[in-house]
Parts: sequence; C-alpha cells; structure tokens
Amino acid sequence: MSKKMGKTILSSALVFGLVATACSNGGSKDGDTVTITHYTIDSPDRTFVEKLIPEFEESHPNIKIKVTKAPYEQFDSKLQSSIAAKNAPDVTSHWGYGGFMEYYNKGMLMDMTPYLEDFNAADYNIPEDVMNIYKVDDKTYGIPLNSYVTVMLYNKDLFDKAGLEYPPTDYEDKSWTFDKMVDYAKKMTVDTPNLAEAQYGVDFGFGERDQRPQYFGANVYSDDTWTNGGKPSEINLTKPEVVEAYKKIYGLIWDQKVSPTPAFSKSVSGQFGDPFLSGKIGMSVVGSWSLAASSDFNFKIGVAAVPQGPNEKVRSVLYVDPLFILKDSKHPKEALEWIKFLITTEVQEKSIELSGGNPPVNQKAAEKYYSNFEGIDPEQIKQVFEGAYKYGFESYNHLISNYSQINELFINELASVENGDAKVEEALPGIQEKLKALLERVNK
Amino acid sequence: MSDITLAKPFPDKRNKTKVDLARIIGFAILLIVTIAMILPLGFMLSTSLKTTKEMLVFPPTVIPEHFAWENFKELFVNEEIKFGRQYANSLIVAIMTVIGTVFSSSFVAFGFARYRAKGSQFLFVLVLSTLMLPYPAIMIPQFLLFTKLGLHDSLLPLILPSFFASAYMIFLLKQFFSTLPNELYDAGRIDGCREVRLYWSLTLPLSGPVLATVAIFSFIWSWNDLLAPVLYLDSQENFTLPIGMAAMLSSKFRIAPWNLMMAASLLSVLPIVVLFAIAQRRFVQGIVLTGIK
Repeated sequence: MSKKMGKTILSSALVFGLVATACSNGGSKDGDTVTITHYTIDSPDRTFVEKLIPEFEESHPNIKIKVTKAPYEQFDSKLQSSIAAKNAPDVTSHWGYGGFMEYYNKGMLMDMTPYLEDFNAADYNIPEDVMNIYKVDDKTYGIPLNSYVTVMLYNKDLFDKAGLEYPPTDYEDKSWTFDKMVDYAKKMTVDTPNLAEAQYGVDFGFGERDQRPQYFGANVYSDDTWTNGGKPSEINLTKPEVVEAYKKIYGLIWDQKVSPTPAFSKSVSGQFGDPFLSGKIGMSVVGSWSLAASSDFNFKIGVAAVPQGPNEKVRSVLYVDPLFILKDSKHPKEALEWIKFLITTEVQEKSIELSGGNPPVNQKAAEKYYSNFEGIDPEQIKQVFEGAYKYGFESYNHLISNYSQINELFINELASVENGDAKVEEALPGIQEKLKALLERVNK
Repeated sequence: MSDITLAKPFPDKRNKTKVDLARIIGFAILLIVTIAMILPLGFMLSTSLKTTKEMLVFPPTVIPEHFAWENFKELFVNEEIKFGRQYANSLIVAIMTVIGTVFSSSFVAFGFARYRAKGSQFLFVLVLSTLMLPYPAIMIPQFLLFTKLGLHDSLLPLILPSFFASAYMIFLLKQFFSTLPNELYDAGRIDGCREVRLYWSLTLPLSGPVLATVAIFSFIWSWNDLLAPVLYLDSQENFTLPIGMAAMLSSKFRIAPWNLMMAASLLSVLPIVVLFAIAQRRFVQGIVLTGIK
C-alpha cells in the first residue's frame, strides 16, 4: 500500500471525526425557546398528541414539543439507554412493562411538588383520590392523564341465543354475583374439542395474575406493600384463602369448564389477542380499553358491572395512566405547562376522538367519553365507570416495585396450572419460594 | 464405442421400477413438506386481503369474500404508517451495510488468511472472541459514543459499524481465502502486483460464492434488526421497517391490524426473496465451500 493511500485514509478519518463531533453541540435551548421531549409508545392512541402540538405551541411560543416513540415491547429498553446516555426525554409515562414504583425506586422521576404550588387538581376536575395515586410521602411524582377501569363486556348475540337476561350495569344491584355469572356462563358454554362449535361462558381477566385473588378477598402481598414504596415484606401464596382464590379462578377453566383454555384462546385469537373478539365468549371481564374497538366487532356487545364477589370493597382494577417528568429534565416548568395543557377539559375532550377512545381523567370531559360508543347507551357506560371507580383498586403494576419481573414470574409459573398440567396447590409453594428469592434480590 | 457401452450398461428393468418408486415416495414427502411450508405464506396472503371485520371471523375464511387490495394501498397512503418511507430507510441501511461488511470484512480476512506475523493467531482469536459478546452488552457504550458524535436519530449509527468489519464474516471469508493456492499469489507478485492489487484483482474476483454469502447474511441481519434502530431512531421519518411493523402491534388498546401487518410482511420479504433468487447458486456454493452451515 502506498504512503499516499495511507495519508488519504488517515485524513478522511480525521475530517469525519471533526464533522461528526461538530454536530454534537445541539442543545435543547435555542435562544429563548425550550424544547420538551415527550416519549411515548408508537401506537395511534398515544401518538395522537402530535396533533395537539400546534395549538400548544401557539399559546406557548417559547416552548417547542418533540415527540419520540418506540414500539411497546421496546419502550423500556429505549428509555433506559437514553437515560444512561444522558439523553432522557422530559415527559413520559409507564407505558412499557415497568410501572410507577419501578421508575420511582430507580430514581428516574422528578418530584413535581415544588412546581405545583398554584396547581389545583379541582381546576382540571381530577378527583383527589385519583391525584393521590402518584404521591409518595406527600410528594407528587405523576399527574393522571387517562383512567381505565375493569368492566364486563358481554356478547348480546350469545345471551339472546341462550335466552338469558342481560347483566346489570348498577354496582349496587347485589343480586349480580360471581355465582350467578358462573350459572349464566354454564348456559352459554359448549365445551367440545371441535373449535368451530366450541364456545365459552366467561373469560375472567380481572387484573394481572397476582391481583386476581383480591377479588376473592385474599391478598398475595402483605399490607405494608401499599405504604412502603411497593416492597412486600411477606408473600401469602400458601395461605389457605389465597389457595382457595386461585382454585376458584382456575376452576372456571378446569372444574366448571366455563372458561376457555389458553390453547383455545390462542387458536381463535393468536398469541396476544383477546378471545372475546372471536364472538365465542359470552362474558369477558377486561380492561375498558377493549371498548375502544367495539365498533369493529362482528356481534352486538353490551357493558355491565363486574359481579359482586366475596370481597365487597374491590370489584374493579383501575389503571390510571399518569404523566411523569423525568429527573434529568432541564426544563421541568415548561414540561409541566405541557402536562397541564393535556389535562384541560377542552384538550381532554378533543383527545377522546383523536386517540380513538382514551378515557379522560378529567371528569367533565368524561361525560363526552361515555357517549362515544356506537350501540351502547351512554348512561350505562357512565354507571359502570362510576361503580368501578367506587369499588376500584389501583393496578398492582403501578404500585409494586420491579413489577415487570414479578409479573413475568407469575406468567411463567402459572402456565402449567392454566394448561391443566398442574394443580393450584402443587404450583403455589414453588412460586412462593421463587418470588421470595426474586424480591430479596431486587429489593436489597 | 465400447467405452460408451461400458458407461451405459444395459438397463435392468427391475432396478428401474425400484428407483421410480423411491423417487415417487421422495417427491411425495417433498410435496407434503412444501405444502406445510407454503401454508403459512398462503395464510399470510389471504389475511393481507381481508377486511378488518373478516379478519376477526372464526373459523377464518381461507379465500377472502372480498379481495381488499386497498390494504396494500393503505400502507402507502396512511400518514400514520409511513410505510414507503420506512421501506426506503430499510433499503438504504441494508444496502450500505452490505457494502460496508463485504469490503471491510474481506479486507481484514485477507490479512489474516494471507500473512503470517508474530501474534497474528492471537489477534485472530481475539477478533473471534467478540462473537461471544451479545449486542445488549455493547449497546449502551455504543449508544453513548454515537450520541456524543451527534449521530443520534440518524441512519448512520446503523450503517457505520458495518464498515469496521464483523467477526463472523471475517471468519467465514478467512476460511475461503485460505483455500486459494499460494501459487496464484506468487504468480501475481512475479507479474508486478502490489499487495492491495492481489486483494482487489485476484482474491475478490475468485471469491464470488463466499462474497454472495456474506452479502446475503448481512442484508438479512440488517433488514430484520429491530433493537438497534429502536435505540437510535426517534423521528418517524427515520424509522426502519421492523420498527414500523412492531408498532402496528404495539397497543393493547385496540384490535391489531393483522391484515395490514400481513400485507406489510409480504412486501417486506420481497427483497430477501429476490436477493436469494439472484444469488442462490453462489450462496449454496459458498456455504458448501467454506464448510459453514
């Protein structure tokens, strides 16, 4: 190789290096204008905020909003690496697998309290108890944006065929019980290996697997979990009431045979799909996000109260999505302006349509949300939502530290029970031990 | 004449029927396997032509009632999907990666294959040991580096690493280059070739099959890569196909548009099928010659 060639390579490498580093001085401040980065999952019900930016920038000429996004599965890894690279976004939420407590314990969140002196939740029609979900030691770390609840959706066509009365929407109607739901389910179930004919009465998807016993009055985690930053000191998986609760849950599949097996669900709706969409499930206890797609269903649907179970206080899991300001944000005040803009009544009302049906946290805007669903009476939806708030408990994934790992453990370990390969009482002691070991490791 | 008779012995009739039976069974097995392999593709094609309502029907229809060709159009005209843009980005990244990988890796492999120096074996083992490093292990340092260079949210961080050779490809190419006879190089030197010329005019033209293999592998890896693009790319204008397609299934808050997803999948396998069809003969030869499966 000639010397000339060597020189050319060396000098082009140097020039490249200079040009590349010259670009790296871009900051978020350009004159008096501040750029706020809003990081979200790449899905139309989240990225619609881009359409709200022009209006915001018009009323806040010194703030520019930039939206960055990642698919759901990669949301957490992108966030973690951008924090590590000191390139963190300003505003985001726990839209990936991790939850609020995980973010809080990793020290990712900014305490917003100092900036909230003249902020009054009532101005934005946010109920006080909803506002409190994201407070730790009286410090506010998140401002609610959307609130989903757990509802019961039912297939009116299957109800009509079985000659059954539709379930009530009023949570105070105490005749609508778990046992009655099972009775109804039995009348709609056709349990046969022939996929084309098989149909099931109920799919009981109340919260994640570790929260489900709560419906039956049993708690997997000790009570201190809700006050000490989401770190359970005891696990109750082997206590009789928890074992009984799981027996009831999985008994729906294997003893009563009124719920679909995982194999059935996958074959009618794919790996992550909801089997209710196939029209072969009578009732589905599910997050209210499933309502958003209701106009695409091939059958008539109704919405009802989750039936009264053994636990009189909890009948619905609440999923309140907040917005956080990340600790590394250089412009928390401007970030807060953007958050406040997103929860005003007018913007929340607009967001319902733009997002395809996200339930607003602003209770005034919620009135409009209830009338957003074709073929379902707004009064009924309102009644179901209000009952769900009254008998609701926040989703564990927002409250427990390192939730993504815990949830994965439950999914993997309970798979054998769900598939009918193991009995509840055989599987739970093993999960108890593994969970203890996991918590000791992650909560050190 | 007698030679010909020897080469073609009088055909044994019984033997012939035996061979035919074996062939029939062979073809039958091949046919079954082929159908099994093609079925998912057929289902993909059928789903890509269904409307959203028909997509949810159970049991699923095999042939769509109404061929929804508009699904393909939707991919390109829907502003929220930006499929055309993502397709172009993926092509740019994949083609540049192929160019980078082929030239840089073959250059390094040439050095390892043709020159002996103190410690060259050690260096080669060192290069190979980087094969053990999974991408997540180097993800954050590399991300920091490219962010500091100001290349965040551009396609460059996805392309540039390929210009610094890949250990797997170096290994593949070195195995092939070592089989080229020394006499050829001696002849080249006698004819006045400098070392770079030996690489450019002698080694590369003789290495068609293995270069095709490297090109196909690097194209497929780059084409399918999801993690690195997710990390580096922020604006939708810069997204590559895998991000766009992952985003279609991203939300649990709505019905996944499987019909659009399948239409996108069909279009996304096209370049790989075309590339493989063009380079197939050389590709298989390359794998056989280097002994790599």
